[in-house]
Amino acid sequence: MKSRLVIALLSTTLLLAGNAAAEDLVFTSWGGTTQDAQKTYWADAFTAESNIAVTQDGPTDYGKIKAMVEAGNVTWDVVDVEGDYAVQAGNAGLLEKLDFSVIDKTKLDPRFVTDYSVGSFYYSFVIGCNKDAVEACPKTWADLFDTQKFPGKRTFYKWSAPGVIEAALLADGVAADKLYPLDLDRAFRKLDTIKADIVWWDSGAQSQQLLASAEAPFGSFWNGRLTALAETGVTVETSWTNNITAADSLVVPKGAKNKDAAMKFIAQATSDQAQAQFATATGYAPINLDASTLMDAELRSSLPDMQADTQVNADMGYWAEHRDEIGTRWYAWQAK
Amino acid sequence: MLLDFDKLGGLRTALIALVALVCLFLILPIVFIAALSFGSSQWLIFPPPSWTFRWYQDLFADPRWLYSALTSLKIAAIVTVLSVVIGFLAALGLNRGRFPGRDFLRALFLTPMILPVVVLAVALYALFLKLGLAGTTLAFIIAHLLIALPFSIISIGNALEGFDRSVEDAAILCGASPWEARLRVTVPAVSHGIFGAAVFSFLASWDEVVLAIFMASPTLQTLPVKIWSTLRQDLTPVIAAASTLLIAFTILLMIVAALFRKGRKA
Amino acid sequence: MAVTVATGAVKTKREGTFGYLLPALLLIAFFFIVPVLMLLVRSVLEPEPGLQNYAVLLGSTTYLRVFLNTFMVAGVVTLVSIVIGYPVAWLLAIMPERWSRIVLAIIILSMWTNLLARTYAWMVLLQRTGVVNKTLMGLGLIDQPLALVNNLVGVTIGMTYIMLPFVILPLMGVIRAIDPAILRAAALCGAGRLQCFWRVLLPLSLPGIAAGALMVFVMSLGYFVTPALLGGTANMMLAELVAQFVQSLVNWGMGGAAALVLLVVTLALYAVQLRYFNPARGT
Repeated sequence: MKSRLVIALLSTTLLLAGNAAAEDLVFTSWGGTTQDAQKTYWADAFTAESNIAVTQDGPTDYGKIKAMVEAGNVTWDVVDVEGDYAVQAGNAGLLEKLDFSVIDKTKLDPRFVTDYSVGSFYYSFVIGCNKDAVEACPKTWADLFDTQKFPGKRTFYKWSAPGVIEAALLADGVAADKLYPLDLDRAFRKLDTIKADIVWWDSGAQSQQLLASAEAPFGSFWNGRLTALAETGVTVETSWTNNITAADSLVVPKGAKNKDAAMKFIAQATSDQAQAQFATATGYAPINLDASTLMDAELRSSLPDMQADTQVNADMGYWAEHRDEIGTRWYAWQAK
Repeated sequence: MLLDFDKLGGLRTALIALVALVCLFLILPIVFIAALSFGSSQWLIFPPPSWTFRWYQDLFADPRWLYSALTSLKIAAIVTVLSVVIGFLAALGLNRGRFPGRDFLRALFLTPMILPVVVLAVALYALFLKLGLAGTTLAFIIAHLLIALPFSIISIGNALEGFDRSVEDAAILCGASPWEARLRVTVPAVSHGIFGAAVFSFLASWDEVVLAIFMASPTLQTLPVKIWSTLRQDLTPVIAAASTLLIAFTILLMIVAALFRKGRKA
Repeated sequence: MAVTVATGAVKTKREGTFGYLLPALLLIAFFFIVPVLMLLVRSVLEPEPGLQNYAVLLGSTTYLRVFLNTFMVAGVVTLVSIVIGYPVAWLLAIMPERWSRIVLAIIILSMWTNLLARTYAWMVLLQRTGVVNKTLMGLGLIDQPLALVNNLVGVTIGMTYIMLPFVILPLMGVIRAIDPAILRAAALCGAGRLQCFWRVLLPLSLPGIAAGALMVFVMSLGYFVTPALLGGTANMMLAELVAQFVQSLVNWGMGGAAALVLLVVTLALYAVQLRYFNPARGT
């Protein structure tokens, strides 16, 4: 009898719960100061212009995207994802094609435009160093991989993504224009030489904590995180030599409920104005080619797009194609 | 004599020393968190350059902290009640029943504890999307109930093992209905098990983050989700401030409970 | 199914036992078995039908290491928790209430503090430049900072911290329920302290130890936030591997396979435990 009551209760609650109907546009990103800026300069501006409210969600989760698309119940309309994932997910049929009659792609950095995605912002992996903690700072990737000249712990991005493998190959003497296809054997051999001295960071905040506390006095960082760290009073030296760029992308999951509004949102978010304001606030670079003219000259000098001399562009197409293979090998190597 | 505090002799000193050390171990990170919440270093450097209330101001300036704490409290309270009731019934059934497959059932009931939570999270998320339940309070409750229930079954089951069934039977012989006997004899007798079940169930929900990340929606966030995303993104000592307030609140509750007990005795 | 109860003086009716299990059973069936089965089906269907996911998983030394590591970490944490937790529970069970209340308050306080915050606190405390190392060096006990984090030591400290209350609280209840007269009788019969402990107190609290150990072991197997933050990548545990497959690599086939292996091994261990260490059996 008890159990019948439970069933009755359960089925009523099931009926009552129904669908969480959200007519607002849902924008999903990684949280933190980055998403705060995206909210202020993209979403709020979009709402003011179009009268469509934007709900913020996060953090981005690829497992969630896949589950939503497969279940045919997609609650995210626009998602900020990593560039190589965008290419791969587009090919895997998880994304909507973007409507380039709404989004003006002629002004967008072509490095980050595909049928399914446009850039969101871009950043560089640079060499950061806590000047108060050590006598000399590594200037090149080769320095960072040299434990004789620069003894001590160094920190790198934990997850499988463009950046560390390229850095290892550059440190091993591979020419910047000969990186792709990646020589994985060589990269892992190089990484083996410093493995015992690596502390991995798994979130931007952790990388800052490691550097500030001198737990790892140098390493490879997202440039925006170093800018923010310097603002809090830590003496940070940044080396832009062979900075490795990678981008985040904006995508629309397949079956998104507010597809048309999503396209308009992306058009707004990638406009020169929105991109310039976002870049000013975060220290990441704009992907709209006109945006830098709207920005403060001094500020621009701290952005990756002013560091193009020795810049290396991570090849998103290559990464998208080999994402799974590299990832599997990467995590297996880490666990060894 | 091993169970008599006053007759332990030298052993007593050794045991007290150990307990003191364990207490120190347990309290060290808590004190550290409290200290960090007043430190001026955003990067958790200790000792900090100076002291500040800034993180508390930040905490109160963002209503999402309070809101997520209330959400957590609500969900954890419902989960606790359901977990204890369902867990008590299940433990009773496992304890009293003599049917084939009983051990298998017992093992089955505990599997949600073993399975990596992330698997359960993904699997449940996919199911809730199909049912249209994703992002609702009900989804949260079901998910947390699944991982809370094993604690109840273990804790209450343990207590029932040590309970002499004939006491309940005696009550029935004296004229009580089976349920009356259970409520008035068995439940009080296993109250320490029920208390343990309630504490563990509450914490299983209150402190759970992996399932919560999947079950959360923009408008429905628990405290651990808020802490998790803040930790990963900004690592601000606001987290330490929030934790410190919770600790202070807990201490306050304990003092009130102690005073209440004293008042009743007098 | 024969459900007659012979142990008690009063025989309860059939509805008595199985009906109690129904709510829990329904919950587990709908919201655990169904979704997990759906995921496990994927492990043999993705990327193509077959058992290749299992072949990869069980054929690779890396993944086998992760399996071994998982059980080793869980074992170490269980052992340390019991060895430390038992004496604490023992003293708590017999010490004057005004003292035990304070210790209990500390235990509950530690549990009430957010798990992530505690884990992060440990991470910062145990760093090479952290408070623990600085203090030890300041006291002149060590010259070089000890590696206390990003290795097995860090995982053990962090997880023992979380698991201790789960051992102490149930064990305290069990020891409190032991009749002191039995120990007095043993002492009267000439048993020494050590004998009293090994032959009487320990065996009597064994059910509590077994239950606590099982709970801690099983919980440790599925943990991943703490090992991920306090362990090095070489201390990876299965749950973290599963999370990687599911979230970073979006490979649910492999994720499901790894989860199933963990589930089967654990259930097998559990069955062994029930068969050989369950005093309630065979009544």
